[in-house]
Amino acid sequence: MPFAGKFFIVLINLTVFPLLILMTIIGIIVAPFAFIFFKLFGNLDTVKIIRYFVWIYGKGWLAIIKPFTGLTTSGFKRGEIPTPCIIVLNHLSFFDTFFMGVLPFSNVCFALRSWPFKMAWYRPFMRAAQYLDVERLSYDETFTASRNLLDNGGVLLLFPEAHRSRDGRMGRFYSGAFKISIATNYPIVPLCITGTDELLPPGRWYLKPAKVKIKALSPVYPDAFTGENGHIEMRKHVKALIASEVERMR
Amino acid sequence: MTNDEIIDTINSALVKEFELDKDKMHPGAHLFDNLELDSLDMVDMVIVLENAFKFKITEEKDIRDIRTLGDIHNFVIKKSNEIRKG
Repeated sequence: MPFAGKFFIVLINLTVFPLLILMTIIGIIVAPFAFIFFKLFGNLDTVKIIRYFVWIYGKGWLAIIKPFTGLTTSGFKRGEIPTPCIIVLNHLSFFDTFFMGVLPFSNVCFALRSWPFKMAWYRPFMRAAQYLDVERLSYDETFTASRNLLDNGGVLLLFPEAHRSRDGRMGRFYSGAFKISIATNYPIVPLCITGTDELLPPGRWYLKPAKVKIKALSPVYPDAFTGENGHIEMRKHVKALIASEVERMR
Repeated sequence: MTNDEIIDTINSALVKEFELDKDKMHPGAHLFDNLELDSLDMVDMVIVLENAFKFKITEEKDIRDIRTLGDIHNFVIKKSNEIRKG
């Protein structure tokens, strides 16, 4: 590896991790005071306040990482993504969720597997934001919580592959998001992300500079997918859209 | 349809619908642990099998007992034999 390449790897790790830790510590200290302030003067819903904090944290992440990723986004202007909706995106890296600071709204509920809930410094925020632990909850419980969220104007975000890709290729999609879309009649918004597998793939513990691109595709409405196979057809359709766009973006 | 043809039809349908790895399709493969299906996939699997074999599956208890790919093979073979005998 040329010297310049090694230099940038050292630089990104000596910059991003300390800043991320610092931002996290400041966030943990400031959040209770900010929460009281929002409660007293904003009269806002507790869950929405915490989701707003997470969104601001995502914005902080974008500011830290942007110089090393040349982040480019498309389809995230206010109004381009209908709300409520169900966002599904391909999954390449631990940091994919951090990049969701690009979304133009903050009332987002992440549906995740159990392991992210084990990080003690994030867990209180994830619980307070009522994120869904899909490994612990039954489908009926996930569905009920999702319907409540969507009916109240929120956005549900899922990784239909469930796992981060180990080889950059997209894994099989699970049906849950598409069943929820058809049952609730809210659209799916496919999101495509590339480059985070170069930044930090599963199994590597240090960052490498990478070109990260994120694109929101046009919403897919459930009315076109009818019959008992509807969610299966919708799943295949959305996966094909994401796969071809990811291919173009790479 | 012979038993081998039934098994091939099941395996092909599941590989196609659930994007499974062909190399993992052996009778001992556990549906959750090895093929990484989930409870929703089990519901979809009934639809896939009904479409592939043009019969209705109403035996909920038999479906609940299914754990491996071999269990699915045996279930469909048994069901096909019952239909053939009338």
